[in-house]
This record gives sequence, structure tokens and C-alpha cells, in this order.
Amino acid sequence: MKRTRLLYTSALFGAALAGLPAISAAAEINIVREVDSNNYDPHKSTARAAAEVLFMVGDTLVALEPDMQTLSDGLAESWEVSDDGLVYTFHLKEGVQFCDGKAMTADDVVYSFKRWIDPETSSPVAWRAGDVEDIVAIDDRTVEYRLSEPFSELLYQLTQSFATVIDQDNVEALGADFGINGFNGTGPFCWEGWTPRDRMIMNKHDAYVWGPSFYENQGPAHLDRVVWQIVPEENTRTVALITGQTQITQYVPAIALEQLRSTPDLEVYRGDDAFWTYFMGFKVDKPTVSDEAVRQAINLAVDQEAIAQDLFFGEVEPALGYISQATLDWDPSLDSELLGYDPERANQLLDEAGWVRGGDGVRAKDGQRLAPLAYVFAGSTWQKISEAVQADLLEVGVDLQIQAFDATVAWGKMGTQEFDMFGMSYPYVSAGDALNLYFRSENMPSPNRMNWDDAETDEWLQTGKTALNDEDRSQAYSKVLHKVHDAAVWLPLYHEPMYIAQTTDLEPVVPHNNYGSGLYKGLDIRFRSE
Amino acid sequence: MSTIETAATAIQPIEEDAPRRLVWWKALLADRAAAIALIVLLIIVAGSVFAPLIAPHNPFTSSRSVMVPPVWAERGSWEHILGTDGQGRDIFSRILYGTRLTLIIGVVAVGLGGVLGSLLGLLSAFYKSIDPYMMRLMDMLLSFPAILLGLALVAVFGAGAVPVIIALAISTVPDCARIARSIAVGVMEQEFIEAGRAVGLSDGQLFRRYLLRNCISSIMIFISLRFGQVILIGAALSFLGLGASPPTAELGMMAAQGRDYLLFAPHIAVIPSVMIFIIVLAANITGDALRDVLDPRIRN
Amino acid sequence: MIETIANRLLLSIPVLFGVLLLGFVLVQVAPGDPARVLAGPSAPPEVIEQIRQRMGLDDPFFTQFFGYLGRVLQGDLGRSLISNKTVLSELIAAIGPTMELMFACLIWSIPLGIAMGTLAAVWRGSLVDRGVMAFSVAGVSLPIFFICLILIQYVGVQWRLLPFIGRGGPLWTVEGLRHIALPALSLGLIFIGPVARMTRSSVLEVLKLDHVRTARAKGLGEFRVVMRHGLRNALIPVVTLVGLQAGYLLGGAVVTETIFSYPGIGRLAVGAILSSDFPLAQGTILVLALAFILINMLVDVLYALLDPRTQKR
Repeated sequence: MKRTRLLYTSALFGAALAGLPAISAAAEINIVREVDSNNYDPHKSTARAAAEVLFMVGDTLVALEPDMQTLSDGLAESWEVSDDGLVYTFHLKEGVQFCDGKAMTADDVVYSFKRWIDPETSSPVAWRAGDVEDIVAIDDRTVEYRLSEPFSELLYQLTQSFATVIDQDNVEALGADFGINGFNGTGPFCWEGWTPRDRMIMNKHDAYVWGPSFYENQGPAHLDRVVWQIVPEENTRTVALITGQTQITQYVPAIALEQLRSTPDLEVYRGDDAFWTYFMGFKVDKPTVSDEAVRQAINLAVDQEAIAQDLFFGEVEPALGYISQATLDWDPSLDSELLGYDPERANQLLDEAGWVRGGDGVRAKDGQRLAPLAYVFAGSTWQKISEAVQADLLEVGVDLQIQAFDATVAWGKMGTQEFDMFGMSYPYVSAGDALNLYFRSENMPSPNRMNWDDAETDEWLQTGKTALNDEDRSQAYSKVLHKVHDAAVWLPLYHEPMYIAQTTDLEPVVPHNNYGSGLYKGLDIRFRSE
Repeated sequence: MSTIETAATAIQPIEEDAPRRLVWWKALLADRAAAIALIVLLIIVAGSVFAPLIAPHNPFTSSRSVMVPPVWAERGSWEHILGTDGQGRDIFSRILYGTRLTLIIGVVAVGLGGVLGSLLGLLSAFYKSIDPYMMRLMDMLLSFPAILLGLALVAVFGAGAVPVIIALAISTVPDCARIARSIAVGVMEQEFIEAGRAVGLSDGQLFRRYLLRNCISSIMIFISLRFGQVILIGAALSFLGLGASPPTAELGMMAAQGRDYLLFAPHIAVIPSVMIFIIVLAANITGDALRDVLDPRIRN
Repeated sequence: MIETIANRLLLSIPVLFGVLLLGFVLVQVAPGDPARVLAGPSAPPEVIEQIRQRMGLDDPFFTQFFGYLGRVLQGDLGRSLISNKTVLSELIAAIGPTMELMFACLIWSIPLGIAMGTLAAVWRGSLVDRGVMAFSVAGVSLPIFFICLILIQYVGVQWRLLPFIGRGGPLWTVEGLRHIALPALSLGLIFIGPVARMTRSSVLEVLKLDHVRTARAKGLGEFRVVMRHGLRNALIPVVTLVGLQAGYLLGGAVVTETIFSYPGIGRLAVGAILSSDFPLAQGTILVLALAFILINMLVDVLYALLDPRTQKR
């Protein structure tokens, strides 16, 4: 019968479709990740998703090794710093060119940096460039970066994606579409196309041979094509890895790591240190949390160890300090003073400070209930964290209120004075990076959402920032670290290490961590040759 | 006055209906599938009404025993009959509360939309002059599918149960209005309406006593047929994160939260999904059977 | 028939106007100041004030609304707050994939639904009939997301037969087909039920007609009778059904696209709304409403073509 035949044919067709192997071009990989960036203009996005892409399609003058401390060559093969710390002279590598084949010169570097700090650009990260007096091209391959005040962080800041060298013609030609419909960079890969919230495609930059020397392969990249695919759901990313629809990703949920390790064709690599910290901050001038005893008690009441174990299956490091203890300029003398889990002492502190438990078990003082309001990001991670914190605090009579906002709304909400606490996570390269960002009084109300307004802190931060040698710098930052930890301005929660899960078809990749970008320039991603 | 009453009762077909009612109950229960569906539905409703009494645990507080499988699986325990979710909350208790919210969303939406829609439809049939305008308006409303309305309202008011209810209610209005109108037009042609007019009943009395009473059962059946679909759309919106928001429990939202654990503890997502399926299936079977038994008029 | 189309067109003008108004009001009453969102979290008040003025946010309501209408008519839907891409370009990129998905869903589910419904009607009361009816009731009762998750879990993960992330390319490529298979299967599964049901009841109606009875009396097989005399007439209600169910299908597509990370309009809409990207949300809602109106118009035309009786009405 005709109908049955039709049925058979379609069944056969379906079977054939399912059985067909995926077409795999020699060297193309698919990387799944959780969220997209708002754009790929280095000066206009602070998203990790932007950094991930910019590191691959662009280059910075200075690069950072996976240990997150050692500087390496980037577009500059060498550099000198004047004794007064005011003049940085960069010597550029020879033969560097943009994706469109044009040679990259010192003028491009100058243009990029000037656009970064130009008030017209209104870059949210302009401060990272330091107090620039002028940036000049001495000749085609020499750039002088002149500061009006020393900036000990400068070289680290120049490793960030914000310092990516861009092409003036390209910026001007694209106008508002720069970093949206195109990007002409000097990186190991070239921009191919972007569909927001879906995928970012980049192809190999064939001429690329100027990769940082810490990479075994300085170029060109082993891969012909990289596709970044947005998959917001944790579980889908995990099964995508298991079924080979993605070859490598750093966006694997803690719950899945053990399973992935035991999957035959997969491997999970962990970076040595964690430079991404989750914390809750207190607005120190709000009733209830303005009381230092309350902030300390909250720190004592929360069991970070349990959070790390129960919610993240021991795959994250419980945090008692505000930055990872492996960070440059962390002061080990603080280790013994950190506020660990001790609910008894928390209760005692609150009792002494006059916060008395009411009938419902919640403390109050002078008619003020101890029920601070926290703003957090919507999503399963912060939901889990904040509910765990809430439960711990209830034990000592603190009734934490939580309001969650979607990321786009949350940033605006967190710039207000409406809340008592806020949940946040952030990447950093050094103590100075973290402290200058969050604790300077001029950064109120955001990112200094704590309203931490302290002249001494400002002074030490300035000392550290303008220090001319390592010792002065770490001493200054150590003072700040002591001061803010003593005042319990934050409730640190955990440090998230960098995990990279990949198929064994690829050679092992060394997890990087610059701005939380695990794959960095992607020069070491390659298929195993059988 | 009394003469009018007797005249009215004499021609009121509702009275004749009384013996037939028993018959349809029997007919419905004779349909085995429908009988089972009805019983299941009643159990579910009872469970959600008495949720606070039945629930063995607080559905909102998390515990350290996360991802406990249901009792019939390996490692399951009677402590948590349906296991616990990713945050250690008792799934059975959450299902009870979740079903409650899901049912409330469905009932309120269908109720609001159904009442408003049928009223508009009846009025449209009763006052012929407004009929064309009303129907054009309904055509217009019909151009907004429920999911689209839901998306728009959520975009404006933010995620929550209320925008979802409003969206579902509005999308129920035009369908109900059309059906109510078509039923009412038939009733309006019957002679007892004329008789009522003849004895000098006011419009209000006519509308209430005759039109409404004679249409209401058919309309109710149609509304019950919508119920399943409305529940499904509501659950889908919640699943997308556009409906009820945490910490409340709603079945679609529970399924969405369970997705993160699909690989390791599939029951967290499967149980609420199956629950939605059971509710909607039972509602659909009951509704179909009701329609077949009671009112062959609106059989497609 | 031309009258039908003209009527339909006229009718869609107020609907369109309503959609535009809805989209516009959406931005007006939405929580969060669009200028604030646009300016970024740490922008000083002066910058926000500048943006407010540039966007004309302080103008009276109707000035703003007609300004918006004018821009929409010129194809200027603004830029996405999140991606900074023009809304138009994002919409254009997403329309194709959604149309592909709809096509891939209907191309198999409608014929299969019709076949199932016809068989059920011809063998009325048989096991086949009961099976088809049970299947269709179950089909319309299953949450679409559950179907998607089950398909991913088994076809995708356990048996590793098909991919379940994103779009592989145009429909005529192998990768494109492989990637669209699971979303189209999920979406089609919820659509077969209504189609089968509708076909069954309309074939049953047709079987009662005189000329069909005569044909049957002549000793033609049941199946042949249906094929020769019944099916064409029976298809008319099915066409209407597709129109009536367009909203239902659209809703399914929103969920399906989101779960399969499929870059269509539905996923775009959900993403825009969840991230308070108002211009993009506006744009997607506008396009979805337009599509819905268009489908209904097409169905009306098809209906008029298939059924000569409509001309008399």
C-alpha cells in the first residue's frame, strides 16, 4: 500500500538521519558557556564573557601566566619602568598585524589606550589605566606610557582585556556597531560573527606568530574555528559535554564535576588557585548592620565549610578572607584572625551588644528588629547561597530578608541605598586590584556599596597604588586588609576555583584565570594527534 | 405577581431537567475512564486543599539531606516519600503546595475569564444591537495568544502568579464569549423567552431567570474543557521563569528547578511534570466525558 | 473571497495598533528606568538625565507614542539594551530559524495526525480508534517541557542519536536536519493530538453524507470511500484548526526553543523579558503578534479556497 510505503520511507529516513555521524571538520570546537556579553567593545563591557572572547580575538601589551602573578610578553616583547615609576616604555614585537592584514604600529596602541581613558568613551573601567599624563608613540615600535602618579598595578591592569589593542579605522567605520557587528584585532583568532545570546564564531588568524612566550605554541592557533555557544542551563551544558556536543568548557556546575571525572572520555582540570570570590557586603551606615558586633556575629554564625560541602560538593574553597590567600599581597598574618564558624561566640557578641531575642527568636534592640535586607542576583547559585546563609543566621536570631533581581536589573538596584546587605562575586588579579575597586571612598555608592568611607583606608590605598617597590606596596595593602577584616565589612563565602572540563580528544589544557577566563588565548587547545 | 410566577415555572425547562440530572451522573460514572479521572481529580483537589494538614515537612525550608530519591528507589526512605530536591526540601510536601498554587492559578484564571467571557457572550445574544461590536472585539482579543499576553504582562509587571493569572484569564474571555453567545442565541429563540416578555418581565429578570439559567450548564462544560489547557500554559510560563517565583512552590517552577539535577536526581524534575500531566489528563477526560454525556450540542 | 481577505486586513489594523500600544506601554510602566538601564550601574545622575532627554522620556505620553509609531513604521525598533545590536537585526536573524522549526514540525505532524485520525474514524470503535484517541488526549495533556526533557534524556543523552543544542545550519544541510529533529519532534508531538482528533470527527461527519453512503453501498471498501470522497471535505476543519491552534503552537515553540537553545523568536523573547531588555521585548512581541495575525489571515484564505460554501456566508 502506498501509505505504508511512505511510512517505511520516512522511518528509514529518520533512522538514517539519526545514524549519520556529525560532520567534524578537522579542527573546530564548540565551547558552551552560561551567559553572553552585552558587547565586545573592550572599553564598554565588564563582563567575563567579553574578556573570554577579547583575549582570543585581540592581544594586550603584557600577558599574564597561569600562576596569575608572573608577567609575560604580549604585543610588547619587553618594557622598562623609570625609577620614579612614572614612565613605562614598551617595545613592540615586529611583524604584528591585524586580522585584515594591516600592520599594527605604536599608533594603534596609543589610539587604543587614549580611547580607553577618553571621557567621551565613558568607559566604566577607565580608572584601571591609572592617572595618565600622556601616551605617545616614540617610533613605530615604541610606546611611552606617562603617568602623573605612580601606579604599581599598571602592568597587571594592562594584561586585562580592557587594554586590548584595537584598530582605529575599524572603530570609526563601525561606529555604534563596533564590537557588535565586527572587531578587527591582532589575536590568535579573528571575529567571524556574533548572534547575541546564541553564539560567537571566530576563525584562526593564519598570520599569528606573536603569542606570549609562556605558551608552548606561540601561533598560529591549532584550531581552525571556535564557536562559543550560549547554554544557560547547567544540566544541558553537562550533558552536552558527555555527548560530545561541546569539547571544552569551564562552565560546569559543581554537582557534575565528580560525574565528569568518572566519564571515560572526559577529563577535568583544576587551576591551582581561586581568584573569583563570592561574598556579601554590609552597608556600614545602615541601622542594624552599622553595629560592628552585628557584622562580626554574622561572620561567626555562617558556616562556610558547610556551604562549600553541601551546596557545592566540596568543589569550592570556603572563604574567610576577602581575597584568596594565594593572591599577590595577601598578608598571612591575617590567617589566624579570620572569623571562622562559631555560633556560640556570635550569640555572645550579640547579647553583649544589647540585641535581645524576642518571642519569635529574632533579636531586637531599641525596638529595631535585627532583620537586614539583602539584595542578590536571581539564579540558582545565589538562591542556594542566600537560603543557606539565611538558615545559619536564624540560628543566632538574625532574620535575613532576601530579594533577588535578574542580573540586568540587579546592577541598577545595587547602586542604590535601599538595602543593608548585597551578594556579589568578582574576579581579581591582586590584593590591590580588589581593594582599590571596593574600598575607596570615591567609589561610593558603587562598587563601594558598603559606603566604607575611611580616610585612613583611602590614604593606604593610595600609598599602595603609587608604591615604587613590592615591599611598600604589600605593606600598605596589608594595613587595609587588616582594617577591613577587623571591621567585618564583608561576609566572605567562598572562592571559586577554575575548573576546565574537556574531552580526551583534546590535549590537556592548563586552566588560566585572568578575569575568570579559563581558556585565555586558546593557543594550547589542540586535538590529540593519533 | 403570583400568577406570573406560576406561568414562569410552568414553562421553565430547568424543572424538567431534574430527573435527567441523575441520569447523566450515572452515565458519567458508567464511563469507566471518566469515573477514574473524576476520582483522581477529587483526590488531588482534596490533597491541595488540606496541604497544610497533610504535608509531613515544611515545603520551604531546606535541609542537609539533598537529592534523596523517592521511597521506591534505592536509598529512598519513608522519611521523604517522594524524596528531596536539590536544596533538601521534601518533594511530597512541595507537590502538595505546588499543586495548590497551580490549581489556584488555573481555577482563578478560568473562573475570571469564563465569567467575564460568558457574560459578554450572553449580553451579546440578549441585546442584538451590541452583538457585531462585541464579536469584533472578541476577534481582536483572539489575536493575542495566551502565551504572548503572558510574555507581555510579565515583561511589564515582572514575573509572578498574578500577571500569569491575568493573561490566562484574558485569553479565556473571547472563546467563552463566542460559545456563550452561540448557546444563548439558541435559547433566545425558544418560546419561553417570548412568554416571559409577554407576561411583562423586565430585561434583568428575563436575563437572570431564563437566559442565564438555561445556558449556564453548557457554558460550564465548555469552561471545564479550557481548564486543562490553561493549567498547561501557566505551567509553561512558570517553567520559563516567568510565572510564580521562589520561594513559593508551583509545579512548573519545580520542574524547572529540577532541571539542574536531571542527570543526578531525575525525580526532582519528573515528579512535578508527571503531576501536571495527571491533573491535566484527568481534567481533560472528565471534561470530554461531561460534554459527551451532558451536552451533545457543543460537540465540536 | 476578496471580501474575506479585505475584512481580515481591516480587522487586523486595530489589532496591530493594540499590539503597538501594548508594546509601548510596556516600556512606560516597566519597573526600572530605561535610561538607568542604558546608562549602566555606576553612571552619575547627570548622565542619566542626559539620556532621559535624548530619549525624550520626559515628553508627554502621546508625543512619545506617536514618535514611537513613526519610528516603527520606518523600521527603527531601537537597539537592544543588552546586546546593543539593532532590534531589527536581531529579529531578522531569529525569524528564519523559527519558521524552519514550524515547518519541520508541521511537515510531519499534520500528515501523521490526519492519517491517524482517518484510520481511527474508518475503524471506529476498534483498538486502533481507542489507541489514537488515548494518544491524542495524552498528547494534549503532556507539558511540552516534559516531552523536551524526556527526548533530550533518552534520544540525546542515553542513546546519543541526535544533538540537542542550538541550530546546525539551514534545513537542507545534514547538520541542520540533525539539530532541528528533536525540537521539531517535541513540538509536533503536542500537535498530532488535536489534528488527529479533529480529522477523526470530521471524517465521521463525512461518512454520514449521502454520496459517501451510496459509494459504500456500491461495495467500495471503507478506506477507498474515505480516500476518494471524504478526505478533501474532512480536511477543511483541519485547516481551521491549524489557525486556531497557532497560538498554542507559538507557546510550544517558545518553550521548545528555550530548552533546545534554538536561536528563534521565542527564545529571544524569553531572554529579552528575563533581562528587562525592553526594546527587544517590544520587538519580539510585535513580531509574534504579526505572525499570529498573518497565520490567521492565511488560514481564512485557505479556508475560502477549500470550501466554496464560505463565499455564500
